[in-house]
This record gives sequence, C-alpha cells and structure tokens, in this order.
Amino acid sequence: MKPKFGEHLLSTALVAALLLGLMTLARNDAANKDAVPADIAPYVQWDFQDLNDPFEKALFADFLSAYRPGDAAGNQRTISRLESYRRDRVLSSLQGASYREPLGAAKLASLLWMYCKFLLVYALALALTHYGVQTLAVWRFVRDRRRAQPKVRETGRRIPERILALFQRLASMAAGLVLFSPAYVIAYSIRTEFDTDLPVFVVLLAVVSNGLLAMYSTKFHAFLTAESRKGYVETAVVKNLGNSYLANEKGGIAPSAIFRLRKRFDNHVFGHIFRNAEFQYLATLKEQAAYLITGLIIIEMALNIHGHLSYEMLKQLLYGNHDTVIAIVLLLFLTVKSTEVFTDALIFIRQRKYANATRINLDAIP
Amino acid sequence: MMRLLAGRDVRWLAIWLGGLGLAGAWNAAFLNRPALALILTGFLNTFAVAGMVLVFCLGAGWGAAVALHYSEERTRPGYLVLTFLLNLIRSVPQIVGILFGYVWIAEAMKRGTLRNPSAIFILMSAVTALFIFNEMSDLMRERIAHFKKGDFYSAMRVCGISKARIVNFHILWKNSRMHVFNKLISVFGMAVFLQCSVSFIISVGLSTEVDLITLPSTLGSVLANIDSKQDILAVGYTFTHPAYITRMFFNHLQGLTTAFVLVFSLLCIHRISTGFAERHRL
Repeated sequence: MKPKFGEHLLSTALVAALLLGLMTLARNDAANKDAVPADIAPYVQWDFQDLNDPFEKALFADFLSAYRPGDAAGNQRTISRLESYRRDRVLSSLQGASYREPLGAAKLASLLWMYCKFLLVYALALALTHYGVQTLAVWRFVRDRRRAQPKVRETGRRIPERILALFQRLASMAAGLVLFSPAYVIAYSIRTEFDTDLPVFVVLLAVVSNGLLAMYSTKFHAFLTAESRKGYVETAVVKNLGNSYLANEKGGIAPSAIFRLRKRFDNHVFGHIFRNAEFQYLATLKEQAAYLITGLIIIEMALNIHGHLSYEMLKQLLYGNHDTVIAIVLLLFLTVKSTEVFTDALIFIRQRKYANATRINLDAIP
Repeated sequence: MMRLLAGRDVRWLAIWLGGLGLAGAWNAAFLNRPALALILTGFLNTFAVAGMVLVFCLGAGWGAAVALHYSEERTRPGYLVLTFLLNLIRSVPQIVGILFGYVWIAEAMKRGTLRNPSAIFILMSAVTALFIFNEMSDLMRERIAHFKKGDFYSAMRVCGISKARIVNFHILWKNSRMHVFNKLISVFGMAVFLQCSVSFIISVGLSTEVDLITLPSTLGSVLANIDSKQDILAVGYTFTHPAYITRMFFNHLQGLTTAFVLVFSLLCIHRISTGFAERHRL
C-alpha cells in the first residue's frame, strides 16, 4: 500500500504546487491591472474633483501650471490620462469589475465553509448512490433469474400477463427517461412546485439524475452476470447451496434482502456472487465518485444555487477573480484525490481480508 | 429484418431514430418555423461536435495508450512525465475543464482572434475530447496489458513480428476493435451530455460574459432559452393541473421537444452501448 500512497502523495503535491503557482500568477496579473499609473497616482484620490465640469477642469490645469510651470504639454497629458483612467473605472464598475477582490483570509474562510457544505452533500450523495447502484443491480439480476425460471415463463403466455409485461416495459422506459435526464431538466420541470435549492433536493437530484444511477448499476449488474458464469457457482449449486431466486420460496431471495442496507444472502449462492462482484466494483467507485462530482457541479451551477461552491466558482469566473477560481479547482481536486485514496485503502483492506493478510500484490490494485 | 432487430443494440438504434423521426414530424406539423429551425440547428451542432469528439478521442486515446506503453518499456522519465500530464487532466472535473475551455473559446471570439466557424467547431470538439480521451486510453492500455499477460505477445515476438505491429494491428485493431467501438458509443453519449450541460450553464450563468450568439447553439443553449425554460417550467404545472397535459404537446413544444430529444438520445445511446456489449459479450 505504501507505494500507492506515495504515488498519490506525489501527484497531489505536484498538482497542488502547479495550481498554487497559477494562483500567484493570477493574483499578480490582477494587481498589475488594478495598479494606478505613477504620474496620475497623486490625483486619483481627489474624489471631490469633477473633470466633466469645464470650470473644475480649467482650475486643475491652472493648478498643474503653477505646480509645474515649464511643462504645459506634460500637464495636458496628465489631465487626459486622469480623465481616461476615471472613465475606465466607471465603465469597469458597470461591467462588474467592481466585484474584483483578491483572495484574502475572509474570502478563504467563506470558501472553506462552502467546501464543507459541498463535502457533506457529496458524502451523502455518494453513500446514497452506492446503495442505489447495488440495490438496482441486484434487483435487475434477481428479476432476470426469476424470469428464467419455468414458473414465470408459463404465466407469461397469458394475455393479462402480457399486458402487465407491456406496462412494466413502459414504466421501465419512463424510469429510464427520468434517470437519464440531466439534473437541470428535472429541476426546472418541478421548480414551480418544490424548492429546488435545498441541500436535500441537491442530494436527491445528484443521485437520480444525469444517468449516474443507471450507468453504474449497469456496470455492477455486468460484474454480477460475469461472476455468475464462473465455475465455482456451478460447483456450489451442485453441492446444494441455495440457488432459488423466487421471493415466496424457502431459501429464495426475499425483497427485503434486496433492499437491505447491508446486503447479505446467507446460505445462497448469490451471497458469494454478490461479494465477489462488490470487490471488483470497488475500483469503479473512483470513476463513479468523479462522475458524481461532475453531476454536483452541474446542479449547483445550472440551478444558480447561491452560497454553494460551484456557483461561487461560476460567479468568480464571471467577475474575473481567477485566483479564487483556481482555489476552488484545487479544493475540488483534493476531493477527487481523497476519494481515490479512500478507495485504494478500501481495496487494500479487502485484499488483505481475502488473502488472509499474507503477501499482497499491490500492483494488482487498479 | 426481424433477425437484425433481434439484437438489443440494433433495436434501440431503430427506437432512437424512430423516436426522433416522430418528434420531428410532430414538430413540423405543430411548431412554428423559427422555433423548429432553432431546435434543428441546436440538434445538428450538438451531434456534429459529438461526432468530432469521437475522432479526437480515438486519435488522442490511441496515441496516449501507445506512447505510455512504449515509454514504460524504454524511458522511465518519459513515462513519468506522460503519466503526470494525463493525471493532471484527470484531476480536473470534466465539466470544469470543458467550461473553462468554452469560456476561453468565447473570449477568443470576442477579441476577434477566432472567427472561422469551422475552427470554432473543431476547438469545441478538441476541448471536450481533451477531458474524455483518458477513458479511451485506459481501455486500450487495459487491452494491451491483457494480451501481454498471456502467450500472445511473446509468441508473436518470437515469430519476428515488430512490437508496433503487435500492439497497433494485432491487439488494438484485430482483437479490440469491438471494445473500442463500444467505448466510442459511450463517449458519444458523454460528449452530448457534457456539451449540452456546459452550454446550458454558460447560457444561464455567464450570459453577460458569453452570450448565446458568441458560441454555436447546442441543445443545451436552446434549452436555456427563456421560451424553452418556460415550457419546461410548465411541466410542473401539470402535477397540480393534470388536464393541462394535453396543451403541453401543442403550446409548449419548443422546450418539451428540446428536453425530449436530449434525454431520449442519452437513454438510447446508453441502451445501444449496453446492447452492443451484450451481443458481442464484451
């Protein structure tokens, strides 16, 4: 595990150094843009002076001539430069540049608070998605097995059963459309009835939208199917381990077992299929978490949820505060990296468990 | 014909094209011409950019996979630099990377340094591909590693076949093209989703900086259009007034069609991809 952690630490340090360097560059660039030219610096502070008023402008010219008598052309240049500087400032304040603020302690504290909220939403959504992915995949797997059993095939020939099957297909299609809807489509379609800015809603939206649940449950289902084709499953069945998938049969799989939080299928061959598939799926968890972060960013940005990290990033991008934007990117990067480290640690622990804490091939960690 | 439709992927391809055709016919009959033109432009732009993303992803993914393979064998520093660069791209959430890229394109257009419409399309595709191609290169590297584990690779080397031919022709082309094609289908769906989401975000959140006219319209920016948004908001109204649903298909067609085309396409592309994987046992 040590080399793996070392690799993570090195890449985190390198990327963080790169982003911090970019942040410094962005700050310097902004400071240069906001700097007042030296020749007009003493007069910029004179807010009482209105150069649009011809009298005040003439008075200022007289003042400069008295102060620097031999440089008439230079004095005229100072007046025009001061005029254009003030005009630019008014224009830039109208365009939103007045919102420019460097990343200070107060701003950083507010960003960290938003980041904590983001982490909470992310952790909840990740836990719910993980449960959802497993449950949906197991439910699909068990349903397919039940359909393959003769009892169900016979009833399928009756007309009412066919109507029921058609209804089920339509419902599955409708569910598919909801699960594949981008978050903003769902949110806007129910915005008149619900408050879509609540954190609870963000979590739910992150789980059910953007195709996250559908895509990753398909992946988990693929692992279950591949695992069920392996030789040890047939051996276990021959040795009389439970292999009925019917709900109302002794030794079968009850619906409560499918929806349980910690899934266990004792004395059933599916228990082994599930555990092996779950272990293989752990590597996909990184990918799932990265996709979830993308989904959360889309939700917060597209729905303009004020006070949230991603919306803040969009706002700061608009105001041209690039140092703050890079700081937010760094926080998001740290979240992705922490999830990767967490997943690798989980894989390592499981590998130790299954290998009875003997020699472990660390290179096998995907 | 029935044999052809027996494959789940082909069946879903037919459903997708049929659904789009039906939506097109309904809109041709009941939607006004300017709105129909807006949706059509958004649809064509979205799928044209997604198509170009495939080309970029295939090229960059293949190149990265082969470069990593060779540098791992020959030059350790080269391999480390390449891995660092790829990890750097991977560490930025895809949506953030593409958003920054699109804002950069829009600013270049505003400054006048980027004017050619074809160049804009190519750049949009390249930016999107930059944050997706890692998936393609991962798949190719997995395939190379899989074949290197067995006797396949060493046996061919003993026969005197060059490393480049084994990797590029025998492994990636002859034995992995179905996997690559399947990945391309999912990359296509991902490109459509990310592109529309970024366009929607830009149109909603950065409309003063980057307006709808600066970047080519996509289904996402059509959906962010005020008329479309009102149409989508009307969906919520039908929850409390179910009788209104009949008017939805006549009075709110622009938003409804855009959302339908986007969601239906994403669903069908996913089903085509899983069906293809099932049919070829990938």
